Amino acid sequence: MPDSHHPSKVTIEDLLRLKKSERPSADFWSNFERELRQKQLSALVGKRAWWHDLPHYFPRRVYLPISAAAVFTFTLISVSRYNAVQVERSQAAVASTAVATFTNTSVPDGKSAVGLDSAPVSSPLVNRADPKVSANAERSTTIAAVRTTAEAQPEPSAKSDALEEDSPSARSIAANFARLEQSDPELISSVLGSRLSSRAKVQSSPTPVLELASLQMNGGRRTRLVASYNDHHFNTDTNASDAVREKLARRLEDHDFNDHFSRVGLNGDKVSLRF
Amino acid sequence: MNLSKVFTKAIITSPERQQEADADFTIVKQVQAGDVAAFDKLILKYRERLFGVVYNLTANREDASDLTQDAFIKAFQSINRFQGSCSFFTWLYKIALNTTLSHLRKNRLRTFFSLEKLNEEGADAQVLEQLTEKKGADRDTYLKELQEKLNEALQKLSIPHRTVITLFEIDGLSHSEIAQVVGCSEGTVRSRLHYAKQFLQGEMGNYLSS
Repeated sequence: MPDSHHPSKVTIEDLLRLKKSERPSADFWSNFERELRQKQLSALVGKRAWWHDLPHYFPRRVYLPISAAAVFTFTLISVSRYNAVQVERSQAAVASTAVATFTNTSVPDGKSAVGLDSAPVSSPLVNRADPKVSANAERSTTIAAVRTTAEAQPEPSAKSDALEEDSPSARSIAANFARLEQSDPELISSVLGSRLSSRAKVQSSPTPVLELASLQMNGGRRTRLVASYNDHHFNTDTNASDAVREKLARRLEDHDFNDHFSRVGLNGDKVSLRF
Repeated sequence: MNLSKVFTKAIITSPERQQEADADFTIVKQVQAGDVAAFDKLILKYRERLFGVVYNLTANREDASDLTQDAFIKAFQSINRFQGSCSFFTWLYKIALNTTLSHLRKNRLRTFFSLEKLNEEGADAQVLEQLTEKKGADRDTYLKELQEKLNEALQKLSIPHRTVITLFEIDGLSHSEIAQVVGCSEGTVRSRLHYAKQFLQGEMGNYLSS
């Protein structure tokens, strides 16, 4: 226990000097020497990693400049690479936009782009016998034939050509449009506006009677009607006016077909529809 | 005499220390020339002093033993880079101190005392007499308690303060040598020393006579 009544002075220095007498025994040093010898041998045999010696080759004062230079270089490389990627992306976006615009607008009148090498996209309402109609039909299917129509162009820009040839996405977009037009022309007409769909409807006016039968019917009533239509070999009276046929074709083409006619009648070899 | 030796002489003012430094440098040259066994002389010469410093910083004899061995191994591995710009013992102390401080920082939350027995033969007999008079049979218990309290108080000091007071009061280095080993100015060494002593006096007040 501490005693506060020591006759002579004991200072903190005296106490600290006492710690000098905290010394290990001789056994400790023999053990120490043996362990140190083992470590020394393993240090001689084992090879240190190269990065352990790295700090010794550079003075401490160059650490900061080297680190700053490394960070600066890394940032510079990152920014330059990022910019390159951004430029490529913007170029690709511009290319795809240009292709879409080109396919919608660049077909000249009177030029028949024959020899389509993409998927067949001819509308069933197209009369292939009529050259006028054929030219118009080609216009409606131009989306699928971007490459061919581009070749048929008298003055397409070199840039557009290169883009179409080099861009598989443009061809795929055009093919998708063509497929969509084939399966759902109403949607195409609503998407592309009146330019293509209205022309397609005009083209459909001289459609032969037999091709009308190939229209996809939806609903049992429509199917029955078409079956009757086929069985009775719809009157191909030459007196029937083109206007009537066009009207009929337009009606049959309509998706609201079932909702628009109110009565179906069979009279001998004639089918009568009342809308 | 090369420039590094002149520089070393300027720092080491004591003639005994200078002779010691020259002798060490000769041995280091032998080791650098390939005489690995010559390094044992340096180990035998400095192991107790180095162990004492590390032990008083860690208050754990096992840790101190391992860290002292590690310091010698590091010195042995790096002996070829020693150019004599400072004395060998300063260089060795720097290595030991850095190894110990790194260990203490890693194990900041783990403090486990493992103290050496106080060797009364090596202690100042007069101080022991003053401390233990009228204690009779409780003398050993009293000394053990004093040792534990002193180590606890030292461990409460921050690492820089503990380092300075250990090197100055226990190992007997001068202010300039401590400044060189620790890497600060002599003024900083004196300041830390003063603060550390004040703190220890406050902690050990019951054991000190007024």
